[in-house]
Amino acid sequence: MVFGPQNHCLYPIILVNNTMDIIEDDEQLGETSEQDSELSDGELQDAFAKGLLKPGLNFTTQEPKKIVNNVEGLKQCLADFRKNTLPWIERLDMVNLPADDIVAKSEGRLDNKASEDINPDDDFQREMFFYRQAQEAVLEAMPRLLKLKIATKRPEDYFAEMAKSDQQMQKIRKKLITKQIMMEKSEKAKKLREQRKYGKKVQVEVIQKRQREKKAMMSSVKRYQKGMTDKLDFLEGDQKTAKGGAGKGSGGQTPDKKAMNKKGPNAKRKYKDQRFGFGGKKSGTKWNTKDSHNDVSGFRAKVAHGKGGKGGKGGKAGPGGRGPAKGGAKRLGKNARKKMKGRS
Amino acid sequence: MSALKRKRGGKGPGGKAKKVKLVENGNKPQTTEMEQNKEITVPPPVDITTWTNWRNKERVLVFSSRGINFRTRHLMQDLRTMMPHTKADTKMDRKDKLFVINEVCEIKNCNKCLFFEAKKKQDLYMWVANVPHGPSAKFLVQNVHTLAELKMTGNCLKGSRPLLSFDPQFDTEPHYALLKELFIQTFSTPQYHPRSQPFVDHVFTFTITDNRIWFRNYQIIEEDASMVEIGPRFVLNLIKIFQGSFGGPTLFENPHFESPNTHRRVIRMATASRLREKQMVKELQKLKRTENKEAVTRDVTDDVFATPAEERPVHIELEAPAAKVVKKNKHKAFKRQRKQNR
Repeated sequence: MVFGPQNHCLYPIILVNNTMDIIEDDEQLGETSEQDSELSDGELQDAFAKGLLKPGLNFTTQEPKKIVNNVEGLKQCLADFRKNTLPWIERLDMVNLPADDIVAKSEGRLDNKASEDINPDDDFQREMFFYRQAQEAVLEAMPRLLKLKIATKRPEDYFAEMAKSDQQMQKIRKKLITKQIMMEKSEKAKKLREQRKYGKKVQVEVIQKRQREKKAMMSSVKRYQKGMTDKLDFLEGDQKTAKGGAGKGSGGQTPDKKAMNKKGPNAKRKYKDQRFGFGGKKSGTKWNTKDSHNDVSGFRAKVAHGKGGKGGKGGKAGPGGRGPAKGGAKRLGKNARKKMKGRS
Repeated sequence: MSALKRKRGGKGPGGKAKKVKLVENGNKPQTTEMEQNKEITVPPPVDITTWTNWRNKERVLVFSSRGINFRTRHLMQDLRTMMPHTKADTKMDRKDKLFVINEVCEIKNCNKCLFFEAKKKQDLYMWVANVPHGPSAKFLVQNVHTLAELKMTGNCLKGSRPLLSFDPQFDTEPHYALLKELFIQTFSTPQYHPRSQPFVDHVFTFTITDNRIWFRNYQIIEEDASMVEIGPRFVLNLIKIFQGSFGGPTLFENPHFESPNTHRRVIRMATASRLREKQMVKELQKLKRTENKEAVTRDVTDDVFATPAEERPVHIELEAPAAKVVKKNKHKAFKRQRKQNR
C-alpha cells in the first residue's frame, strides 16, 4: 500500500515500497516511504515523531512503474551477438538518410531530412521519405556492388521464377490499364462539357449580335424613310465591311434597294404617315377624337343608303376597298362574305 | 551438378499456383549442356563453381500460433517467398510455453526464428529471436499489406538477395543498434545460398518514425534508382527486448508502447465520459427548471440614469383643428387633351 495524492489532491503523500526499507524519495515534497500495509498507530506515531509524516490528510497511491532500459546489458548482448567475421557482402546493409528531394529543392522548400521530422499521418510525405531512403541506399550500394562484381541487372534472356506469378502481374497490369482508361474518360467528359458550355455561349453571342445588327439596320432604314437622314451610309457601311472582309458584298441587292428608296414612299404610305404619324408608340392616335367624330366630310349619302353603284364608286376617290363581288349591291355582312369566299 | 540442379528445382512455398507459365530456373548452364552437343558454347551468366562457397549458414524458422487470420497467413507466405533461407513449420498450440519454440528450432536446424502470435483474433504479435542463446524481441504488428495487393506493382526474382537500408536513428540508441543487428542477420540472404539468385534487385527499408519501425520492400528497376514497391509492408511497434531467446531478463521496455487493449479501453472510456457529461448537463438543466424562481421585482438601479423631462403647461384644445386644404393640380391638362394638342 502506498500513500499518495488522489485526484489532484494537494495533500502531502507518502510512498510505501513493497520492500521493508524506509526510502526517502523526495524531501521537497515531503514524500517518504514507509513500511508495510498494516501501519499500526504506533508506527504512524513513530513516523510522525521522526518527521517523515507531515500534518494533513495522507492518501495511498501507486508507485510509478519503472521502465527497464538496461543500456549496459544491451551493449554487452550486442557485442556477444554480433558476427564480426561476416564481410559486408554477406549482409548488404546500408545506413543512410534519404536522397535529396529534387522537387522540394526546385521549389525552394526546406528539406527536413531526419526521420523524426516527418509527420507520420501525412501518408504521401511518409512514403516519399521511405522511397528516397531506398533510393539513397541503392545509389550508395551500386558502386560497391560493382566493385565486388555482383550484378543488379539481370540479362534479358535470364528466365527464372519471380516472386509474383505471371497471373498476378497480368491482374496488376489490367487494373492499371482500367484506371488509366477511366481517367481518360473522365477527362474527355469534362472537356466535352466545357466545349458544350463554350459552344452555347458562342451561339448565344452570335444570335445576340445578329439581333443587334438587325435592330440597327431597321432603325437606320426607318430614319431614312422618315426623312431624318438622306444618306444611305448604313447600307454602304455594310457593304464596305463586307467587301473589306470577304471581298464580296451583297452587291446584287443594294442598288435595287437604293432605287426604291430614292422614289420615296408611295402615296398610300404618305397618307398614313400624315394621319398616324411616323410609327412609334400606339398612343390612341387611331381612336376617334371629338373633332374627328364631328367631321362628316367623308359622308356620302348615296353610299350610305346603298344607291351608289359601280360608277359612283369608281368616281369617288376614297380609301375605300374593293366593291362587292356581285355588281352594285351593298357590301355583304361578314358571315355572308365568308361563305362567298369559301365558294369562290 | 545434378544434385545442384535438383536443389535448384526449388520447392516453392505452399499455396502458389502450380500452373505457372514461366520456365523454372531455365538457367544458362542447362542450355549449355544441350548446346554442347551442337558445339555451341554460351558462357553462363554466373559461374557455378563458386557456388560451393556457401558459408553463412543462417536459417530462419517462420511459423505461427493458432488463430491467425488470412492476412497474417499471406504475410508469412510472402516472407518465405522473399527470403529463400526460411523454413516453415506447423502451427504451435497455445498451450505450450514459449520456450518450446527453441526446441522446435533446434529440431529444424534453424538459428533464427520469426514467430507470429495472434491474440483475440485481432492483435498480431511478432517475435524475432536468435534461437540458442541470443536476444529476442517482441513486436506488435500493424498495417499489414501483402504481396498480392494490386497496388504493389513491382516484382523481383524469387530468392534474390536484398539490399538492407536502415535509418541513421538505428545507430543512435543501444536498443535500436541491437535490433538492427538482429534484422540484418535474419533478413539478409546468405551469399551462394542454393535457393538464392545471384542478382541484387530489391531493397528492404527499415525506418523509425513515430516510435515505430516501418518496413518497405522496393524493386530496383534502373541503375539510377527508380523504384517500385513490391510489398509486403508492415509496421512494427517494439514491446520488449529479452536477453535470452523467448525468455530471460528484460533488457529493454518500450515506454511509448500502449497495448492494444489499453488503446481500445481509452477509446471506450472517452466515449463513455462524453456520454456521462451530456447526462450530467441534462440533469443540471432539469434541476434548474424545477427550482423556485423568485419574481424579479423592481431593480433598484433602474432609475439611476433617469432624468425627468421639463414640465410643460397643459394646453386644452377647445376648437376642432382646421381641415386640410386638398390641393388639386390645375395646371396639368387632361391627358387626352394634352395628346391632342401635340
